[in-house]
Amino acid sequence: MFNLFKHEIRSRWRAILGWGFGLILFGAIYISIAPGLFEHIKILKDLSIYELVGMQLGSIEGYMASVVLVYVPILLGIYCIIVSTSTLVGEEDNGTLELIVAMPLSRWQILTAKAMALCVVALFIMIIASIGNAFILAVIKINNPINVTPFGFFTALISSLPLAFGFIMTGFFLGAILPNRRLSATVMTIFFIASFFVENIAGMVKSLEPIRYFSLFNYYNTTETIFTEGPQLSDIVILLGIAAVFFILALISFKRRNITVGAWPWQRGKITD
Amino acid sequence: MSSEIVIQTNDLSVYYGAHRGIKDLNLSVQKGEVFGFLGPNGAGKTTTLRAILDIIHPTQGSATLFGLDSQKDGVAIRERTSYLPGELSLDPSMKANYFLDLLGSLQKNKLDESYLEQLLERVDLDPSRKIKEYSHGNKQKIGVVAAFMGKKDLIILDEPTIGLDPLVQQTVLELIQEVKKKGRTVFISSHNIKEVQTVCDRVGIIQNGELIKTEKVEALINQQLKRLEINFRKEPPHDAFTIEGVKEISRDGNLVMFEVSQDLDGLMENAVPYGIMDIETKTVSLEEIFLAFYSPQNKGGQNV
Repeated sequence: MFNLFKHEIRSRWRAILGWGFGLILFGAIYISIAPGLFEHIKILKDLSIYELVGMQLGSIEGYMASVVLVYVPILLGIYCIIVSTSTLVGEEDNGTLELIVAMPLSRWQILTAKAMALCVVALFIMIIASIGNAFILAVIKINNPINVTPFGFFTALISSLPLAFGFIMTGFFLGAILPNRRLSATVMTIFFIASFFVENIAGMVKSLEPIRYFSLFNYYNTTETIFTEGPQLSDIVILLGIAAVFFILALISFKRRNITVGAWPWQRGKITD
Repeated sequence: MSSEIVIQTNDLSVYYGAHRGIKDLNLSVQKGEVFGFLGPNGAGKTTTLRAILDIIHPTQGSATLFGLDSQKDGVAIRERTSYLPGELSLDPSMKANYFLDLLGSLQKNKLDESYLEQLLERVDLDPSRKIKEYSHGNKQKIGVVAAFMGKKDLIILDEPTIGLDPLVQQTVLELIQEVKKKGRTVFISSHNIKEVQTVCDRVGIIQNGELIKTEKVEALINQQLKRLEINFRKEPPHDAFTIEGVKEISRDGNLVMFEVSQDLDGLMENAVPYGIMDIETKTVSLEEIFLAFYSPQNKGGQNV
């Protein structure tokens, strides 16, 4: 099982570097233009349209939180969707999973090795991206008054990992329960987009407030308070709990899955134990 | 060959929704045996292999390998089993040697590196290239090497020689015979009847998901279908041999060739009045028997 886990990480080293440095580049652009851009933003009177997409532009710290802390996890989330729905069900569609399940590994070992490996991959990506972005902030801070420490910025970015784990495990569950990759990727994308907009719209419309608890984004702080207060432990626990629930559901579903066939859950064979 | 049963299926059935995969399949394969599984496309051969390895779960019935339940003891079974899928798909970005090492690392026992080298040499494969650079035949060679390298007690091969050149096909057949000599078991599903005839001790014939015949290859050839050439003293009329299970297949004056699947006595009775000068028995290949099973006139091989 550990060898499969190692292989899954090893086979993604290019993705780790590509996404890690890609996210540094993304952050670098927005952090470096932040001081100049904020001077222009200050003259805008109505910022409500920006709030619709979760942006708080009242301060430079708010701007950085609402751009970098929102869009870096979104980009990482896209990676999570791609890999989590391509790992099991995608390998099944490609035909490469058949040989793996014929190895002396139980289904839970295969799923656990692959899911944990993706979490580690996401961790590596975010470590690279967070260190890089913190470094860029440190450089920008030399000539600009920004009330965010590089460590606070690093902590804020890295605290998006539980959110990524939540999306990875949701993707695994959908991949284990739905018949093919295309469908699971579609459902996962809808879930992801809905999650994002529910969080933002519910934040603006009082009557929609209760539904924001169904959004994973609700449990990730993208306001400037995260730079000083850090992430809330309760949010991390909830996201890890959601990830754990979807992981267990994925295990149950993958055990029942007829590999090479896909099929809906009700079309699958019986399990004798 | 020991009488220990390695594979046993009990009313094994797999349905894909409403579609039949296999139905009430009962077969057993003994230790040290090379068992051939024959059937046309869609008959249920691959489904059977996948079901006994728990790649897909049976809708009804069960399978045991080495006396262990295929679903409850899957890991223990697969520690002793290797499998070559019929639709072999490999990650194109991997190098062949990395892929083989990975499969080796997922096994309980350490790989015998020198045997792996030997296998690569015998199938003439350079494993240092990426899988996407290999031809279909070379990818199949990787699958063959992967199936044999673990020296497992049971090797399950689904169309192992498909896409291979005749020389490597011959090597695969030799490997199967070597495995058999060492007392290990091979379960082989194939369309290639000649290779089944060459290496298998017994065959199972499957049609429409049902096992319709299990027999020793020799017995099947000797007992089931006979071809007789009779030289008559005087030419018999064309309607002289309208007997069930007897088919006249050629005629050259007094020399008539028959294919007999049953009622040899009836043929002899009808032949005697025309004077039998000579009888010659011709060898019938497994391929001819197989085709006879699936001929439109012979539903399910009941006349074979």
